[in-house]
Amino acid sequence: MLSDTLALSGRSLRKWIRNPFSLIPIVIQSIVWLLLFGNSFNPGNSLPSSTGGSLGLLEHSFGGAPNYITYLTPGVIGMLALTGMTFLGVDFVMDRLNGYLDMLKTSPIPRSSIYFGGVLQNIVKAIVTSAITLVVALLIPNGLRLASSFGILDLLGIFVAIGILTAVFACLFTGISIAAKSTDSFFAVVNFLFFPVAFTSTALFPISFFPSWLEPIARANPISLASEAIRLLVVNGTLSVAQLSTFAEYIGGLCAYTIIFVVLGSLLARNALKAE
Amino acid sequence: MTTIIQVRDLTKKYEEKIAVDHVSFDIAEGELFGFLGPNGAGKTTTIKMLTTLASVSEGTAMVAEHDVSKDPGAVRACIGVVPQQFIADDELKGIENVLLSAKLHHVSNEKARRRASELLQLVDLQSFAEKLVKTYSGGMKRRLQLAMGLIHEPLVLFLDEPSLGLDIQTRSKMWEYVRKLNTENGITVFMTTHYLEEADALCDRVAIVDSGVIKVSGPPDELKAKLGGDILSIRVTDGADLTNFLEGVQDVKEVMKLGLSSYRIKVPRVEKALPEIVDGVVERGLKISDISFTRPTLDQVFLQVTGRRVRNGEDESGATLEVPVLMEKVN
Repeated sequence: MLSDTLALSGRSLRKWIRNPFSLIPIVIQSIVWLLLFGNSFNPGNSLPSSTGGSLGLLEHSFGGAPNYITYLTPGVIGMLALTGMTFLGVDFVMDRLNGYLDMLKTSPIPRSSIYFGGVLQNIVKAIVTSAITLVVALLIPNGLRLASSFGILDLLGIFVAIGILTAVFACLFTGISIAAKSTDSFFAVVNFLFFPVAFTSTALFPISFFPSWLEPIARANPISLASEAIRLLVVNGTLSVAQLSTFAEYIGGLCAYTIIFVVLGSLLARNALKAE
Repeated sequence: MTTIIQVRDLTKKYEEKIAVDHVSFDIAEGELFGFLGPNGAGKTTTIKMLTTLASVSEGTAMVAEHDVSKDPGAVRACIGVVPQQFIADDELKGIENVLLSAKLHHVSNEKARRRASELLQLVDLQSFAEKLVKTYSGGMKRRLQLAMGLIHEPLVLFLDEPSLGLDIQTRSKMWEYVRKLNTENGITVFMTTHYLEEADALCDRVAIVDSGVIKVSGPPDELKAKLGGDILSIRVTDGADLTNFLEGVQDVKEVMKLGLSSYRIKVPRVEKALPEIVDGVVERGLKISDISFTRPTLDQVFLQVTGRRVRNGEDESGATLEVPVLMEKVN
């Protein structure tokens, strides 16, 4: 099953890498989010500069981030994991419409490899996307400032967090996508979910900015979990034992979501892939 | 001959509609079997059941000794499917599509490479192997799909409308490949088509299906012979009346005199009766000034068993359009 899953995700990734229009939008999206939100909506701007302590206040609200873009970057990485699902829908619906899915169904591969191939290729895409976003964030003026002790392990930690967050979404959306009969319905679902999910997360603003009734939702939001986990690494670099256990809690939370959605998504897929 | 496909009372019901209605047939190993009928006759649904894409409502279907309902995995391992849509991935190269298909059929890398180049050669695509499929023409895509469906050396190849939408030249090229595969590699082919001339040219045996039911099946020649055989038209130089002589020739069923010296002769196999007719004409000191014959086509068989013609509106070839006129003359 693994080799089939790899073969199928390899197919999508090969197409993705070859098509320049798959990477350019990611760069543009990263720039737009980081520059537009990072500057126009920078909550630090609204603080009176005369206090002189705006940075101190910021650091307090933003988990020790030295500037807003450093706070925002992990959030953008988290949100892009969700917007990436739009492409997933196109993949499977097109495969269904043009008969490719039927071709897969008549080959002797386990049905589950079709599903997991979809999940896996999205995880790889999201990791590449997050790397691009990090580079963009580092390049823009007054952008991302990594902790001095930030190392390769921390980078891997970021990829783990984003990989599992993507697994959460991809497990659900791959199922929906395999079951969807047209791209329209798929776009509708992704769009319908994007704003409520993204804006009830701590991707853009810290938890203290939320009304108290929304706080528990914001804390449990998978984008929050991944964003916070990545922030820990970006702001602190090498984690202390206490920070490491917080990081593990976030990852654990994401794993719990993954389990729920892999069950839900694979049921949807299995139902959609069985003989007519 | 071993039976490789055995179908008994195969039925597919979609809610109220019965798409395939208690269909039974056997296909022997190495046979090229054509499943013919107009659009919506149940051809594609039958192929879907045999290739495990559609569930079976009633009856059984065994492919290479595996039950399609009980052991679909084993069936999939034995079959190659070339669907009627263009399924080759446009964004991948020709060779990549073939190799991906090899991977999905668990063919070892080394074997896949060797076979891929053989197959691409067979379908005349070796010089396009490294090109993206989006640069291919429709005919090339179909040929590529043939290679994709054959990479794992399946026992049975399912071809769903192999020449749909192809121009006449490309179509006959396609027939050539299919015939080659069947005769040289001994692969069993189950194909659907609504081009009856295609089936006539290619298939060892055909079944004509309409509204989910098999109306008639057998070798194309046999089916055509049942219609009453060939029509021989001769015109001789003026002279004695030949009606009596012609009626006396062996196997001749009917002689019609048209004008002074033209005759229409109905005979099962024209080649059997012709020598005697020619000799008789010469003996009487006459010369044949014109001779021609028509043989019944599968279209006529189809018309006979279904009461209507195949609706192939996109088929612009004159041959099928002439059929109704011909039929009137025959009757």
